[in-house]
Amino acid sequence: MKNNKKNNYVSKDKLGNNFTHKQIVETDEEKIKNDKDIKEKNTSSKNIILSIKNASYRYSDAEDDDYALRDVSFDFESGKMYAIKGRSGTGKTTLLSLISGLERCTEGEIIFDKKSLNSMNLDKYRNSDIGIVFQSYNLLPFMTSAENIILSMDVSGLKIKNKKEKAIELMEKVGLKETYADRKVLRLSGGEQQRVAIARSLSYNPKMIIADEPTGNLDKQTETEILEIFKKLAHEENKCVIIVTHSQNVCDTVDVIYDLKKSK
Amino acid sequence: MFILKNAWISIKRNKGRNILIGIIILIIACACTITLAIKNTASYLIDSYKNAYDKEVTISFDRENMMKNFDPSQEDGRESAREKFDNIASFTVGDIQSFADSKYIESYYYTYSIGLNGNNIEKAEIESNNNMPNGFGHGKENNMSSTDFTLTGYSSLDAMSEFINGTYTMNEITDDAWDIAFDGNYIFINKELADYNDLNLNDKIKLESDDGNTYEFEIIGIFKENEEENGESMSMFSNSANTLVTNANAVTDITTKDEEIHSTINPTFIIDSYDNVEKLQDEFYEKGLDENFILQTNEEIALSGVSSIENINSFATTFLSLTLIIGGIVLFVINMINIRERKYEIGVLRTIGISKFKLTMQFVSELVIVSIVALILGAGIGAVSSKGVSNYLLESEINSSNERTEEIGKNFGGKTMNGGMLDRGKGAMRGKGMPVVEAYDSIDAVVDMKVLLELLGIGLSLVLVSSIASMVSIQRFSPLTILKERS
Repeated sequence: MKNNKKNNYVSKDKLGNNFTHKQIVETDEEKIKNDKDIKEKNTSSKNIILSIKNASYRYSDAEDDDYALRDVSFDFESGKMYAIKGRSGTGKTTLLSLISGLERCTEGEIIFDKKSLNSMNLDKYRNSDIGIVFQSYNLLPFMTSAENIILSMDVSGLKIKNKKEKAIELMEKVGLKETYADRKVLRLSGGEQQRVAIARSLSYNPKMIIADEPTGNLDKQTETEILEIFKKLAHEENKCVIIVTHSQNVCDTVDVIYDLKKSK
Repeated sequence: MFILKNAWISIKRNKGRNILIGIIILIIACACTITLAIKNTASYLIDSYKNAYDKEVTISFDRENMMKNFDPSQEDGRESAREKFDNIASFTVGDIQSFADSKYIESYYYTYSIGLNGNNIEKAEIESNNNMPNGFGHGKENNMSSTDFTLTGYSSLDAMSEFINGTYTMNEITDDAWDIAFDGNYIFINKELADYNDLNLNDKIKLESDDGNTYEFEIIGIFKENEEENGESMSMFSNSANTLVTNANAVTDITTKDEEIHSTINPTFIIDSYDNVEKLQDEFYEKGLDENFILQTNEEIALSGVSSIENINSFATTFLSLTLIIGGIVLFVINMINIRERKYEIGVLRTIGISKFKLTMQFVSELVIVSIVALILGAGIGAVSSKGVSNYLLESEINSSNERTEEIGKNFGGKTMNGGMLDRGKGAMRGKGMPVVEAYDSIDAVVDMKVLLELLGIGLSLVLVSSIASMVSIQRFSPLTILKERS
């Protein structure tokens, strides 16, 4: 049985047309029933890690009423996997950039772990509290897999004695053998690069993973494997995983779907 | 720490570009080192010249001020001007000592001249050529011009400017002349006068004042006037034929006995800085110096010898500026290209949470590391090259300085000065336009700590200026935009 909630947010696109963000929350309770651990988590009190409260975003050069995203309110819990889907122009990327701390809301606020992002150091937030995974991996091509992961540890200021050992451990966790550690990332396949990107995002043990079309460049088989990793991170390591996607396969895997729609 | 690690990784990764940057900085550093070394040498020479001259102040009569109220059309104008001139209070040795008691004055010397007649000698006959020394009279009017001889007393070796500048050259001198010259009745006479009266060293001459007092002097030196410098004379005798040279104490003794004797005093004060001349002048006026006198310095003379060196100095400055401007622009452009090429890297690093400051530091560190290596190499090459250039500049100055030293030595009596008076002689030469110049015998002397610090300052400034491109870009780049462009 599906439980659908709908909220409409009227906004204007850049051409001045009115549109509405439609938020659809689909909770597949049957899936949860099949997974006892998750069931326990969901029947217990809500463990909200991220809360978007009436967040709006307007570009600095836009007109007064020209919002890229308007009055959006979502909650994200630890231990769950979320998908944010929607057609182009509905504000998915804007929402992703807001929750990943690459931009700040122009109105409203985003609360992470009881602290507002408006008052947080977003660099610190990105290098310690959340991990970001991109469709095009965004690894540094002149570095090896391990160096990319170690760099992320360095940036977060993590004090680990043997960072390379930790990097290899993370790589193994996402299904990469130790031999990949010293390989330049350009010599890896798309799926392998994405695994390195996920390992990098886990290098400082963040509470939340945000992924932008992480399987967009991958084949079906690899997509399934990558999604399995995300699923494990959410359900076994109690991380909140948010995936911005167009993929039905992803939507079928996640626990909660937020569907952004624009309507006139 | 990871910033430096990342910087080092980036340097290794972008070898080609960093070698290019290094070569440019090396050329700039090399050019800067040579230029700074030349400037250093030029400054050293300028300082040597400035130090070669004492900062001298003399008292001059302000004719302009005096003539302001002179109206030649009026019948009594000429008469009143003369009266006014005669009424100007002159000064005495006591006044000079009082003036010299100032915080601005380091030392002083003076020449003290009086007119005397011969008792057992005759003046060399000349046609109205009795040299009236410049100075400010005291005592009976026109006394000196009507006497046979002008007796000039010098307070010290420093005061003997005619010998230093070569107007007079010592022809003969007793062995101990310079030991006794400044205390007692000893005298130097002109060779023409000596020949005229058949006088030799150690002979004694008697002089007498108008009041009939007789004074005896022993001849310890015979000098001659350098006619080449004084030009042609219509007289058979030189201007100084009847000038007798003694010490100021001897003249003071005479003026003490003969109070009415006309005397002139030319004081010279050595001051600490030319900047204090006005304050010193005010102080002199307060101490009683007539306001028709003004103070004049030798600053212009002191600086006249350094114009060619200053030209080299300003050329070096212009060359340095051009090198820096061109080098700075080239580095700036290379850095802009560098930033554009590494936009993706910036986007990734910003996304994973590196702060703008740290990222800027990483880019600046890369440039600083490359620059320091290039600066060290450039400074080394520049230092080796500049030693030759600097020594070439110094060589001509050393030669002319040596020639001048020998010349002045001869003016004071040549061989005799190799004895006890040599050091005093050299001491006298300092402060009289004799720069003490030495060749550089090591690179350290040419490229000293000052040059190295200047080079370091220039290098780091250049790095910072050329890093502006990266600093601004990093501040403006939006990581999401960069990554979207890449996608």
